[in-house]
Amino acid sequence: MKKVILLFSILLVFNANAQDNIPSIDLKTLDGKTYNIQAVTDKDNVVIVSLWATWCVPCIKELDAISDVYDEWQEETGVELIAISVDDSRTVNRVKALINGKGWDYQVLLDTNNDLKRALGASTVPLTIVIKDNKIVSRHSGYSPGSEDELYEKIKELSL
Amino acid sequence: MKKIILCVAILYSGLSFSQDGGYFFGGFESNSQWLLNDEGLNFIAPEDQFRANNYFRLDYNLGEFTAGVQYETYLPAALLGYAPIYDNNNGIGTYYLNFKHKALDITAGYFYEQFGNGLILRSWEDRQLGINNAIKGIRVICSPLDYLNLTGVYGKTRNGFNVSEGVTQGIDANLYISEALKMEKVELSIGASYVGRYQSSGTNDSIPSTVNAYGGRFNFVAGDFYGGIEAIIKDPDVIANEGQISSNKLYDGTAMQVDLGYARKGLGVNATFRRLENFAFYADRLAEGNIYNQELISYTPALTKQQDYMLTNIYVYNAQPRLIIESYDQRAGEVGAQIDLYYKIKKGTALGGKYGTKIAANFSYWAGLDAEYNIENRWYEAKFIGKGPKLFRDFSLELKKKLSKKWSAIATFQNVIVDKGIVYGGPLEEEGDIEASIAVLEGTYKFEGSKSVRFVLQHLWAEKDRKNWAAAVLEYNFNSRFALYVADNWNYGDTDIHYYSLGGSYSKGRTRLGVNYGRQRGGLICIGGVCRFVPENTGVTANLTVSF
Repeated sequence: MKKVILLFSILLVFNANAQDNIPSIDLKTLDGKTYNIQAVTDKDNVVIVSLWATWCVPCIKELDAISDVYDEWQEETGVELIAISVDDSRTVNRVKALINGKGWDYQVLLDTNNDLKRALGASTVPLTIVIKDNKIVSRHSGYSPGSEDELYEKIKELSL
Repeated sequence: MKKIILCVAILYSGLSFSQDGGYFFGGFESNSQWLLNDEGLNFIAPEDQFRANNYFRLDYNLGEFTAGVQYETYLPAALLGYAPIYDNNNGIGTYYLNFKHKALDITAGYFYEQFGNGLILRSWEDRQLGINNAIKGIRVICSPLDYLNLTGVYGKTRNGFNVSEGVTQGIDANLYISEALKMEKVELSIGASYVGRYQSSGTNDSIPSTVNAYGGRFNFVAGDFYGGIEAIIKDPDVIANEGQISSNKLYDGTAMQVDLGYARKGLGVNATFRRLENFAFYADRLAEGNIYNQELISYTPALTKQQDYMLTNIYVYNAQPRLIIESYDQRAGEVGAQIDLYYKIKKGTALGGKYGTKIAANFSYWAGLDAEYNIENRWYEAKFIGKGPKLFRDFSLELKKKLSKKWSAIATFQNVIVDKGIVYGGPLEEEGDIEASIAVLEGTYKFEGSKSVRFVLQHLWAEKDRKNWAAAVLEYNFNSRFALYVADNWNYGDTDIHYYSLGGSYSKGRTRLGVNYGRQRGGLICIGGVCRFVPENTGVTANLTVSF
């Protein structure tokens, strides 16, 4: 019981002090170039980072749903979505085929060793993070149909 | 109690310092179950009815330094089907200190690393599978030139709350040729890896104390085409089975993987060929083939499509990299290929309709190596491809379509053939194949706001094993945070058992909670091509994750 109390008190402390920094992690592009995530997300407009994988059904549903309206979103708010695949070496070769086959227009980066996934404390994907001025403003894990509309409300708010 | 107060005090003081530029991050994950007796399933709850795996991870970054620690508890026992080495244990599972400055990256403590495709070395964590083979030691990554990076590792592999007997060392080098030569039209890179394991062989001179593996690879991107090849050879070593050395004979091992792909907007094709011959590399020679996937050095997952539905996950493949020469079972490895196709039918065409149609197809075929065995002399000879026994064949086709602003649908068909020995363990080619066809229809209806309802209907046809199944899922999303579901898998062809379950999840910001009650179908649970066996059980499970 003591341990449980300890854990929860620690949790509360850290929840109150939750970090909004983007960890300094190197990611690869599809042609093998290395970029630090902090450099990629450093933009004037709102940036969405979506952690996904080729084997993750809700991830693909979310990115498909956003893809249908991405043109509109970009026109109206200048938002940019960076889709970071956490696929390991088993499935990472599928990433390029899948994003093309789906016709997605996102910038795609690879977190093959799951360094970013660990640093963000993401035990499951999808994890969707909204970034403004290179600080994490909000995060949401999981996807249900229609949650892209809530996400867009948030983006519009931040883009004002 | 004093210790607890001290810990909390240190953490608080750490936090107040954190204002000076450093920051904390990490997460907490708790997966627990309460097992219940179930006569209908013939399941008797074990003595430890309540089981929980908890992970508490805390990292701190200050400028160029990052440090972290992960505390884990498996009290009073680990979840059903996890490696018993974790049962009733708790403690610091991993810790590290990392320094990163420009082209230099040094880690001391536990680290996760992967060379190439991971065939020669991969250390990673998967909590659903109960795998954490982080290496405890030192890792140095440096990039002396923009187009060259080098990684060196040295350490022992984590095994429960201890480390392996064997010591692993490795070097990996990657050279980006096109960057070095300033080529613009194509991307070319080559890589080379070395991994060695040292483990004392005691008084037995015929067993090598050091076993080395060497690998090379080449990757390219040229226009819409891309691909790569990787090949590994492993020095002769003894083979072990169930913790015993089979004989004093030594056998070398090889692995080879070739990938080829083509991708342009609207179309993507990706094909993979892989051949493994006696390619099981563990941080302890006696750990070979352990069913809990502990102390792995090499990463040889099943290269098949990861299926998404309940009934498409009954007959799955598990990679067969090992050499076994026993009177009751002979195998030398596997060879096979898979191909994926993704295609989008454009909006506004006859088949595409208003929103377009997305197609995904996958085919895979895996066979045991075509080999001759001399059991008496423990000798074998394998062909490169040959006509080895079919272990697994899978074809699946998925059509995904948004029908209107409110409706979207997915239809999936799969036909699979699998050797019974793969599904239930035990010798291969003895009990024959199981063939199954599965059809799945999924529909989603979006209401105003972010309310939605999703249903899935599934049917599996099979003439052998447990014959026909039917399944259904109904899920209601109240909003993007709260969802409830009810599901049933019914094996009406043979046992007449209903594997029902119901549950819900709540997710907000950094916290997610899921609770389920029901029956778990026994069998292989596979994540990322690595499988763990779970016995049938009934109970309540809860999963809580918090990240910060």
